[in-house]
Amino acid sequence: MSEIKLNKISRDYGQGIFGVHDVSLEIETGEFMVLLGPSGCGKSTTLRMIAGLEETTSGEISIAGRDVTRLAPRERNVAVVFQSYALYPHMSVRENMRFGMKMRKTPLDEQDARIARAAEVLGLQPYLDRKPAALSGGQRQRVALGRAIVREPDVFLMDEPLSNLDAKLRGEMRQELVRLHRRVGKTTVFVTHDHVEAMTMGDRICIMRNGCIEQVGAPLEVYARPRNTFVAQFLAAPAMNLVPATLTAAAGAVTLSAGPIVGPLPAREAALYAPAAGRALLFGLRAEDILTQPRPGAQPFSAVVTALEALGPENLIVVEAEGQALSARVDRHFLPRIGAEVTLHADLAHMHLFDAASGDALARET
Amino acid sequence: MRRALSHLGLILAVVIVIFPILWVFRTSLVPPQESYSTTILPSVTLDNYRALFAEKNFGRNYLNSLIVAILSVVVTMPLAAMTGYAFARFRTGGGLARFATLASQMLPPVALALPTFMLFRGLGLTNSLTGLTIVYAAINLPFLTWILMGFFEAIPEDLEGAAMTDGATRWGAFWRVVLPVAAPGIMAAGVLGFILSWNEFLFALILGGSNTATVPVALASLQTSNGVQISNVAAGVSLAILPLMIAAKFIQKYLVEGLSFGSVK
Repeated sequence: MSEIKLNKISRDYGQGIFGVHDVSLEIETGEFMVLLGPSGCGKSTTLRMIAGLEETTSGEISIAGRDVTRLAPRERNVAVVFQSYALYPHMSVRENMRFGMKMRKTPLDEQDARIARAAEVLGLQPYLDRKPAALSGGQRQRVALGRAIVREPDVFLMDEPLSNLDAKLRGEMRQELVRLHRRVGKTTVFVTHDHVEAMTMGDRICIMRNGCIEQVGAPLEVYARPRNTFVAQFLAAPAMNLVPATLTAAAGAVTLSAGPIVGPLPAREAALYAPAAGRALLFGLRAEDILTQPRPGAQPFSAVVTALEALGPENLIVVEAEGQALSARVDRHFLPRIGAEVTLHADLAHMHLFDAASGDALARET
Repeated sequence: MRRALSHLGLILAVVIVIFPILWVFRTSLVPPQESYSTTILPSVTLDNYRALFAEKNFGRNYLNSLIVAILSVVVTMPLAAMTGYAFARFRTGGGLARFATLASQMLPPVALALPTFMLFRGLGLTNSLTGLTIVYAAINLPFLTWILMGFFEAIPEDLEGAAMTDGATRWGAFWRVVLPVAAPGIMAAGVLGFILSWNEFLFALILGGSNTATVPVALASLQTSNGVQISNVAAGVSLAILPLMIAAKFIQKYLVEGLSFGSVK
């Protein structure tokens, strides 16, 4: 068992400045937990606090049922993969991997066996006697992973390990890491600011802002039901469209008025959101829920195309109507001229509503 | 054409810098009566060097200089490394300690020479290599601390984080990871400290005696009432710059070498 429990942990830099504030989180044994957020949100600090590299000013951290809050990093049995890889430049790949086992006095033949195994899994056999300087970025990344694996720690902590790789390699390593995690099965905390990594890799994701947790949940669940506008916008590119809106309830029908999108809500949404009629709201719709073809429950509106990005498999367009800019993810054959007026359809079955003042999502059942 | 011109300019600059040194070397190789002639090499002799060692006890001076310069660096280096690391990582003593370290380098040495002399006379450390070594170590310490602090600051902290999560103590991370990575910097600082001690004149003159005179003092003593013994001076200078040239070669190699070669992107 190697679950991680964070109980109201804070990192106080003094003068009321917090790196992390009152964060509580339980990560189960074998779980792949992604900490996601913009830079400065406290995700790396949280990771470093778990590793013991950053002081925990208040709260408790326990790993595998053991309170490690005041223990030195070496006593916590965690392995960290750093964004910079932090390979020991004066040691060969083999020595880099051996270092942690040597420190822990693992028997020599066991050390060799584990290095051989890790080298095989990661395809590092040809490079074992090279120094890090003689390796490519991707290879260094693998060495950093190998160094963590051979230690056989309770917990893997990864601090944006893919952000220094080029796009193609990043995609490959993403899949490789997931495969590796399945194989090794160790509790993993993975810090990233990339929502694609978070969505594709995490068993659960924990979205942070300003040192606090905004939402924790399975990727698709968080994507489908963001708790507030921050989560809604952070978890996708292009970000969720948000338009100031109001609801009017009259004669059993609920009518939405959100910029250019004006029309009755579908029955299910009408029942759900009727109590919010008259409040100042934000209407949220993801780019893929703006359609080019009509569909039952989708509200047509016309808008002027202001930008078009043909990505190949799909196109991203930005349209403007009534002073509102909206992004839409459309079919690759839909190629309007810039400045052309088009009719689009807002799929209200997938709409979100947030309180305009607090940004919190209006309660929504399944 | 442009390239040729700039090369010509550079060659000229090099000649201007290097000519006096070459001329000193030339003077050390010609008989004393030819020292001031304009002939480049009328005749070549090693008599000047021979005289320097046979009559002036220059071998002793040379050895003194080597002992004092090397010992002072050896004594200083561990202290400077630990102090520099503490300044770099833990901000020990804050800005004040850093400033004090730098400020000590701004005092004119003369201001310290007399008090040091009084102190060392009381302790029986005048006219001794031990005394001179202590002074040079004291002069080197703030200087090397400052230099090493810069080198340590350039080493990514993640390296120590990796070592510490890998199972090393703070000291273990310093000893097994930071020091080896900082080795080029430590070598460079050591060479600079050596040069500083090797060239030091004031304290060597005031605290030393005939047995403990170092090379700079010995060279100055060739300026006698019978005039400057230029051929001996030239021979002495040629020998004195020898270790500096070797050191310069060393330091260049280590300074050029990157600090965190490939550890982090």
